[in-house]
Amino acid sequence: MSYFHSLIRPVAAVSAIALLVLAAGCSKPADTSTAGAAPNSATDPSGTATPAKKPSKLGDVSAFRSIALDVAASVDKGDLLAAKTRIKDLEIAWDSAEAGLKPRAADDWHVLDKAIDSALKALRADTPNQSNCKTLMSALLKTFDTLQATN
Amino acid sequence: MITLSATATSNWFNKVPEVTLSFWVIKIMSTTVGETGADFLAVNAGWGQGLTRGVMGTLLAIALFMQLRTRRYRPWTYWLTVVLVSVVGTQITDLLTDGLDVSLYVSTAVFAAALAAIFSIWYWVERTLSIHEIITRRREVFYWVVILCTFALGTAAGDLATEALGLGFAWGALSFGTLIAFTYAAWRVGGNAVLTFWIGYILTRPFGAALGDMLTQAKTYGGLGMGAMWTSALFLTVIVMLVVVAQISIGSRTDSQIAE
Repeated sequence: MSYFHSLIRPVAAVSAIALLVLAAGCSKPADTSTAGAAPNSATDPSGTATPAKKPSKLGDVSAFRSIALDVAASVDKGDLLAAKTRIKDLEIAWDSAEAGLKPRAADDWHVLDKAIDSALKALRADTPNQSNCKTLMSALLKTFDTLQATN
Repeated sequence: MITLSATATSNWFNKVPEVTLSFWVIKIMSTTVGETGADFLAVNAGWGQGLTRGVMGTLLAIALFMQLRTRRYRPWTYWLTVVLVSVVGTQITDLLTDGLDVSLYVSTAVFAAALAAIFSIWYWVERTLSIHEIITRRREVFYWVVILCTFALGTAAGDLATEALGLGFAWGALSFGTLIAFTYAAWRVGGNAVLTFWIGYILTRPFGAALGDMLTQAKTYGGLGMGAMWTSALFLTVIVMLVVVAQISIGSRTDSQIAE
């Protein structure tokens, strides 16, 4: 009885480790398959925006870039309210993808994060300044392009 | 002072739960729920980091006040406090990293040193670090300060692993899971119970975060694509069920104690 009792916990520990190894084993092919799948999904939304550019070390960031393009278009038109509304979509999308993107290239992630953050702050200022927003948005788009070009 | 704590001892019951499997499940899951909740308020609801910090800090103060005032372990108060400590501990690290540009190497080292210092003071004052005899207010204050520190340290160390080693959530869950398994094994073969408990407590913070990320992150990033909302709903359901079970069993235990 006590023999079985003392056996339960080591068995539980071993099976927990086995489960973890399995989980990692299963998630590894998923990682490689996503690396293959990323360019495919990249061509759909941004085929017009970024033609035949290599993805950055961060992988496919075209979905974020295309929102940034929308924001920049609104800023150019002088519709800062629409820009402010649209950039929130970028903030939410960027924030929720952090755990997936950041480990791929933390330095690149921080560069983009800072650029998005400054654009956000400019658009959310009490009295947003159009030329300031314009500068920061084009800086953000340039950041996207540099990251894709350098790889 | 000595007589005061002596009388307090006789009136107090252990204020914290026994360490069981359900303890660790709730602890790991509450990390994810707390973090997604605070993130939702700050970003989706548009409160911003400043307001969210203020609100969470206030809620923690209220929960801690209730927890310190109860005379015995009450599961829902205890676990509400843990969730809020987890949120605030994470926010402290995030504020240092993102707001004040403190390097993660520095914050990890500082929190580790702070934790060692608090343990030293706790041991020096109480001559024990036992988590089975949290029976005076002073010990309970030590207990909660240490827990806050482990969450801040766990966040900083986990983020450092992501930044410096490029450790994604899949490898993160595996690495921290393995370290937890080693800690468990060390305890099984007779390692110091208090030490292994606190090491496990620190490690379950980044492990819980990686596990949460695995469920929430999109399939493109190798996650299961459940999204933050469904993951939190699932975890919250499990937490509530386990806490309700704990609450009921505590209730029947005290009834039988009174009957005796």
